[in-house]
Amino acid sequence: MGWLQDTPSAMIGEAPAKSGRDRRANRRLRKVMAMVSLAETADGRQAPHRRRLLPRGLAPTLPALVLVLVFFVLPVLALLTRSFTEPVLGLQNYIDLLGSSTYLKIFFNTFFVSALVTAISLTIGFPVAWALAIMPKRQANIVFAIILLSMWTNLLARTYAWMVLLQRTGVINKTLMGLGLIDQPLVMVNNLVGVTIGMTYIMLPFIIIPLYGVIRKIDPAILQAAALCGATRIQAFIHVLLPLAAPGMIAGALMVFVMSLGYFVTPSLLGGTANMMLAELIAQFVQSLVNWGMGGAAALVLLVITLSLYAVQLRLFGVAGQEKH
Amino acid sequence: MLLNLNSLGAWKWILLAITGATSVFLLLPILFIAALSFGSSQWLIFPPPSWTLKWYQDLLADPRWLEAAWTSFRIALMVTVLSVLIGLVASFGLVRGRFVGRVALRALFMTPMILPVVVLAVALYAFFLRLGLNGTTAGFVIAHLVVALPFSILALTGALEGFDKSIEDAAVLCGASPLKAKILITLPSISHGLFSAAIFSFLTSWDEVVLAIFMASPTLQTLPVKIWATLRQDLTPVIAAASTLLIVVTMLLMLIAAAVKKGMKA
Repeated sequence: MGWLQDTPSAMIGEAPAKSGRDRRANRRLRKVMAMVSLAETADGRQAPHRRRLLPRGLAPTLPALVLVLVFFVLPVLALLTRSFTEPVLGLQNYIDLLGSSTYLKIFFNTFFVSALVTAISLTIGFPVAWALAIMPKRQANIVFAIILLSMWTNLLARTYAWMVLLQRTGVINKTLMGLGLIDQPLVMVNNLVGVTIGMTYIMLPFIIIPLYGVIRKIDPAILQAAALCGATRIQAFIHVLLPLAAPGMIAGALMVFVMSLGYFVTPSLLGGTANMMLAELIAQFVQSLVNWGMGGAAALVLLVITLSLYAVQLRLFGVAGQEKH
Repeated sequence: MLLNLNSLGAWKWILLAITGATSVFLLLPILFIAALSFGSSQWLIFPPPSWTLKWYQDLLADPRWLEAAWTSFRIALMVTVLSVLIGLVASFGLVRGRFVGRVALRALFMTPMILPVVVLAVALYAFFLRLGLNGTTAGFVIAHLVVALPFSILALTGALEGFDKSIEDAAVLCGASPLKAKILITLPSISHGLFSAAIFSFLTSWDEVVLAIFMASPTLQTLPVKIWATLRQDLTPVIAAASTLLIVVTMLLMLIAAAVKKGMKA
């Protein structure tokens, strides 16, 4: 294709641009030429080498990269570093954090509540996702609208609702007492019961929506085959449906568990100061105690747990949204 | 068998009952708050003894609430513009670039979404103490931008991957400058991605609580910070009124989003 490289460029050079129209035509021709030479590069032939300061496509990502590095990576690393350097160099903060029964109780609370919330969300979320996957579209859409509405409602508004509903003189206690089910009002705020209810409310959509997608993709013919082979409903459920839905259940459960571990707002409003969770502990170290060393140490513990659980998830299911080439 | 509602037998009713109960569980607190905001009882007695607009009057008469709402709106708007712009440019690089570490870079951009926000809040708080950015609009915008950007990039890389680049190339061949081709051809084609990037960025900032608590000062606070501070004192029905207004705003945005989505399919 050597002739292509010579002739038109020579032609462009020779033809003096008489009018704007000519100039436009020339410009267009040069563009075509540039594309042809690009195509040649793809062919593996020689093309004039263009020098670039940065690899192709990296430059546009720079603003985002700078933002993330300066205002995310750097501050987080700085905070974590302080856990090893303040007040003295060493691991003293971690020894204090993991050696005290007060803090261990907070770790226990955090794991216990997160596990409980995950278990309840999964138990409720699975049948709902299942029903949504096979319900008539119209009804399913109504349920979806409710799920999205609750998900998109301001977090504080939702937590406030539960604070009011669960309080001593709240509707739930009044109804239960009115029905004669209890004599004394149940204590459901400022303890882990309230936290569990409030967090389950928030986490349910995060289980239902991905699980719905997984069940939706299961081919009904597989279950028909199970029935034809003589499986009862329970057998088909345990040996066919459950294993097929398991990846979605595990993925959703891991996500809810990780999100619960680092939750701050709901535990501090519904749990009260006596039932602290890890995120509140971090905030308290920094805000009220101004102990950056301990705050950084608690943050590092939370980060390590969070990232390892995400690593497990990636290991099991691959990168979500990875390019499909 | 198990994936056909009508051959489920008794299981059908169990499934539908659980789904119905869950829907009520998800919907009830929202309706309850809306009802209480019109109730006359200071102590949030339900059902309310009578109905009133008093709490809305209190809310709208208090300049601190209005100011907080305005601050929230202002910050969310700035975050939306920046997040869509930076996200759009970055998405072009991520989708069309052919450099080493592209996948890793994309993962890095997503991390603010998966990390516990309290860690970022504490870290930024310390960082901003040095820079003197705590309690400033810039501090709020930067903090919210960090958590909004992943949503924007997610929406926009998705939209760009679904767009056939040869259409843009054709425009260039027909004489458009690369920039003009992007603006006139590519952007309209990925408008749904731009739209969801904008809505998600706005709501991320508008509803954000934890970062805002750390960034706020007595003179500059967003609506969620104001609600948070009030909630820690008492459960006044004024918060029910504020929450109801927030729910209405959210519902409106959801309806607009749904309408736009429908309009795009047609």
